[in-house]
Amino acid sequence: MGSEIIVVIVVATALIFDFTNGFHDTANVVATSISTRAMPPRIAVGYAAVLNFVGAFISLAVAATVAQDVVEIQPNSIGLLAVFAGLVGAIAWNLITWYFGLPSSSSHALIGGMVGAVFVAEGADAVFFKEGILGKVMIPALVAPLLAFLVGGIAILFLYRIVGRLRPGPVTSGFRFGQVISGGLLALAHGTNDAQKTMGVITLALVANGTIATDNFHVPDWVVISSATAIALGTYVGGWRIIKTMGSRIHKMDSAQGFAAQGAGATVILAASHVGFPLSTTHTISGAVIGSGAAKRLSAVRWGVAGNIVMAWILTLPMAALIGALTYLVTRVFGTGAVGPIVVSTACLVAAVVLYTRRSQQAGVPPGVPPAVESS
Amino acid sequence: MIASIVDTDALLQVVWVSLIAGVGVPACYALAILGSTRALEFGRNGRPVEAVFFVIVGVLGLAVVIASIVFGIVTLVND
Repeated sequence: MGSEIIVVIVVATALIFDFTNGFHDTANVVATSISTRAMPPRIAVGYAAVLNFVGAFISLAVAATVAQDVVEIQPNSIGLLAVFAGLVGAIAWNLITWYFGLPSSSSHALIGGMVGAVFVAEGADAVFFKEGILGKVMIPALVAPLLAFLVGGIAILFLYRIVGRLRPGPVTSGFRFGQVISGGLLALAHGTNDAQKTMGVITLALVANGTIATDNFHVPDWVVISSATAIALGTYVGGWRIIKTMGSRIHKMDSAQGFAAQGAGATVILAASHVGFPLSTTHTISGAVIGSGAAKRLSAVRWGVAGNIVMAWILTLPMAALIGALTYLVTRVFGTGAVGPIVVSTACLVAAVVLYTRRSQQAGVPPGVPPAVESS
Repeated sequence: MIASIVDTDALLQVVWVSLIAGVGVPACYALAILGSTRALEFGRNGRPVEAVFFVIVGVLGLAVVIASIVFGIVTLVND
């Protein structure tokens, strides 16, 4: 009975993580559309939410990577507690970066949290540092934003070359319409890659509980549907501070740049999802946005803001790992039963409500109301 | 060392697919904008041959964009 309660808590925590992922990450996906006025904020967020939901059903390759190739979970209560602690580490880091208005990476937070918790719970042998973390997470995570930077930069040069001599009116209208498509693809890509990470973690918990046999890996349908729903809801509720950071503070975009950036981000994420790489969508779209700005004019990019983002990227994995490890140790103080997860998840929930309320009061707007987004 | 850790084939696949699709599809969409805009201009100026040429450019550009998106999604779903 105790382990069943922990599974319920882990699934609920994973879905909350998925919700915060949508809340935190997908704002990045719609920022370019809002910044270039291709879509009004509420429409853009609603549109992204729907396509996030749809995207979650496209593939399961990333879920398999997260569940099988990063850490090895033993089918016992220790493994279950480690999954729980890893999730809490990821959620805590997401909330902290959201509170300070810094783009981070939910994916790296999730991987970091899991690695930290499993490392403390099961030892170093249970963490696949080389082929898993380095080969399937870290190196693709390094390549993806650079690739998106390159693709976004080359694409915008082609676009300006092709339409450069046309009147600006039809060109702007054309690319704004194009952004409806490219923004949709980016939301689809986000749902495909990010919702699968939650599916992978829930599946990992089911393996730890013995519900799924280790030699019969599969993602149950209810896991896919609930993960898709959670990320879509998170997207809809939105993260307006992050929208402002990504959409206008990196650089002011025209509609062609927005289109190029979204196209570059979507293709890199979808291609990576196809081969099962759990990418950071935040890193990738940031790389594409900066690439499309730098190709036009280096001075158009606010490099200070880009530097802050890079710093958050660097900190995410170790900080989430640290929080995950600490959470596991705190949870174990209460034994291996359900008491630890109940106490820790209640404390986290209270902390999250406090942070959210304080953030909303500081912004001077009620939760869910978008601020005016600066545009070019 | 790195090659033994990373799935090089998969990573290279991500690189070349991203470069071709991420640059090619937006470029084709730009051709669609170019085609439609120029076709209207030439049509208004009484130059039907040029207008038809740019209509073809625009339609082809849009067709490639739509075909690429459908192909990409079908490939992902069928994987």
